[in-house]
Amino acid sequence: MIRQYSGIVPKGDLLLIQKLCDKLKGKSFIHVNSTREGGGVAEILQRMIPLLKDLGIDARWEVLEGDATFFEITKKIHNALQGNREKFTKKMWEYYYEVNRKNKKNINLNADAVLIHDPQPAALIDFRRKSSRSGKKIWIWRCHIDVAHPVSGVWSNLKKYIVQYNSAIFSVSKFAKSLPIDEFIVTPSIDPLSDKNRELTDREINEVGEQFGIPRDKPIILQVSRFDRFKDPIGVINAYKIVKKYNDCRLILAGSPATDDPEGEAILNEVRDYAGNDPDIHILLLPPDKHKEINALQRMSDVILQKSIKEGFGLTVSEAMWKEKPVIGGAVGGIPLQIVHGLTGFVVYSVEGAAFRIRQFLNNPDMAKRMGQEGREYVRNNFLITRQIRDYLSIWYCSMNKGKHVLEL
Amino acid sequence: MENNIEPFEFKQCVSIVKSTGKYASNLSELRKLISRVGDESIFHHVYQYFLKGHMLEYTNDFAHWAGEHLEERALAERLSSIDPYTLKSVSEVRKELIREIDDFLSNFPEPRDVAPGSEFYFNETVSLVFPVGVKTRNLAEFLVAIGHIDAGSIYYHFYDSRVRLGEGVVDDFSRWIEHTLYRKKVADKIRAIDPFMHSIESREHIKEIVEECVRADMEGVED
Repeated sequence: MIRQYSGIVPKGDLLLIQKLCDKLKGKSFIHVNSTREGGGVAEILQRMIPLLKDLGIDARWEVLEGDATFFEITKKIHNALQGNREKFTKKMWEYYYEVNRKNKKNINLNADAVLIHDPQPAALIDFRRKSSRSGKKIWIWRCHIDVAHPVSGVWSNLKKYIVQYNSAIFSVSKFAKSLPIDEFIVTPSIDPLSDKNRELTDREINEVGEQFGIPRDKPIILQVSRFDRFKDPIGVINAYKIVKKYNDCRLILAGSPATDDPEGEAILNEVRDYAGNDPDIHILLLPPDKHKEINALQRMSDVILQKSIKEGFGLTVSEAMWKEKPVIGGAVGGIPLQIVHGLTGFVVYSVEGAAFRIRQFLNNPDMAKRMGQEGREYVRNNFLITRQIRDYLSIWYCSMNKGKHVLEL
Repeated sequence: MENNIEPFEFKQCVSIVKSTGKYASNLSELRKLISRVGDESIFHHVYQYFLKGHMLEYTNDFAHWAGEHLEERALAERLSSIDPYTLKSVSEVRKELIREIDDFLSNFPEPRDVAPGSEFYFNETVSLVFPVGVKTRNLAEFLVAIGHIDAGSIYYHFYDSRVRLGEGVVDDFSRWIEHTLYRKKVADKIRAIDPFMHSIESREHIKEIVEECVRADMEGVED
């Protein structure tokens, strides 16, 4: 299975995955999250579990089960960890704990390494067998969300579970906390073989263009994102309007509706009103599983934007860079980690800045091409799924050899 | 005869980043933490900057932060001028960093705090070192290999070795070429490449030197 990636990802990453799997052969590695489908976590697990099995690791993936009440609570926890004020009662935390306790009965947590994803199953650590606490079994908590400025009460409630783990993993340095356990930094990744990122034929791309009624007669500017304020869709339209005075072009705003956001509908209507009757603005509402369509839209575009004003990591930037597209992103979340300003794209701080950079790209195709190529190489070395798998295995191995700064394999 | 030669075995280094949980919002905090964090953190932010492959205006993370976030260009230039490969140890690098910051603070007013989210986060790494399955016995094989290996391998043999071996000036490549192949002139040319002035593109310079030598060997030109 791992051979599928050969020739695409860095050789060293594949080699290290193989070496680590040789060392960890026969050991069990369980991942627990709260959804089988949808979202970046499920996407990586779908790929990673069979790949690890193929390399001799007894890898399993368990999904925490909960009812609507539980997921309402964990959605609030998620929002509060991202800094939004939410109301919590003691009962809600008891319910959260109780669902974790019930799941303990159905999930076999007896493994050499246990990797728990995000807050929903975090309390499972409380049911870790006493014998495994002092032994060589490794429990790791993986946080995929932006916890730079959490609501303190919610973080302290969660923290009492987190400190029981052997180590924690955060996506960006600034999300890490001052904890008495090891904290590793692992950036998220994209899968170059998935429908969202694989190579497409011209025919496949043209079909999507026809499907959405997008003529290919002028340069296309694209932003793929949920319709919420933090992605600044109005700002993107404003930037397009400035550019339009100088360069004829089209704008595509493509994304899924923000169903869990009560403001989602209002923002979408606002964006539609703001776009008015401009036939060169295409607002596409796509269900979250339309990966091939997103891929095609990215590939038919000339400039790709992620003009967010608040962002977790913003992997759409890496997706665009992987397709050798020149990118422009807001200087928030993980975007500056992906865009090396002036080399793999441009980081911007305003509508005017975004418009200026779009014009630069449209007027300098050679520069756009060069940055696109640099961007793809940067993603190849830093943001592909094999690097993330490599990191998880490395952290497991490092945790088995705690205290060492250099490990020879 | 080549069977008796100790081959050069290419290895690679992959670093997994660990947070220390410490961060600085202004220059005084940065100075305080530089004096307190472990050697591993200084090593990561100075020596491993070369592993990033994109050498822009700066040569280490501290200089980068001073320039891009504190917006103190003079300080950034001075921190960038600290050449870790001419210093004997990480603790000397630490002393130099502190000396430059103290000097700056005694001549200029303390810069304002950086914007939230732009703080300097102190990290360190755990390095995993592994053979990449490539061994070479002569310069021609070495030439093929050097173009083929990942950047992490160049880093391990050309940069990390200077700290690992504790000799301050020697890289693994020139050591093998001199002591196993007895080609001192080639080794000296490789040693003349200034690691501080190049990032991973040192690979191209090493290739040029070895290629020139292999071509001369083929044409029977004496060393």
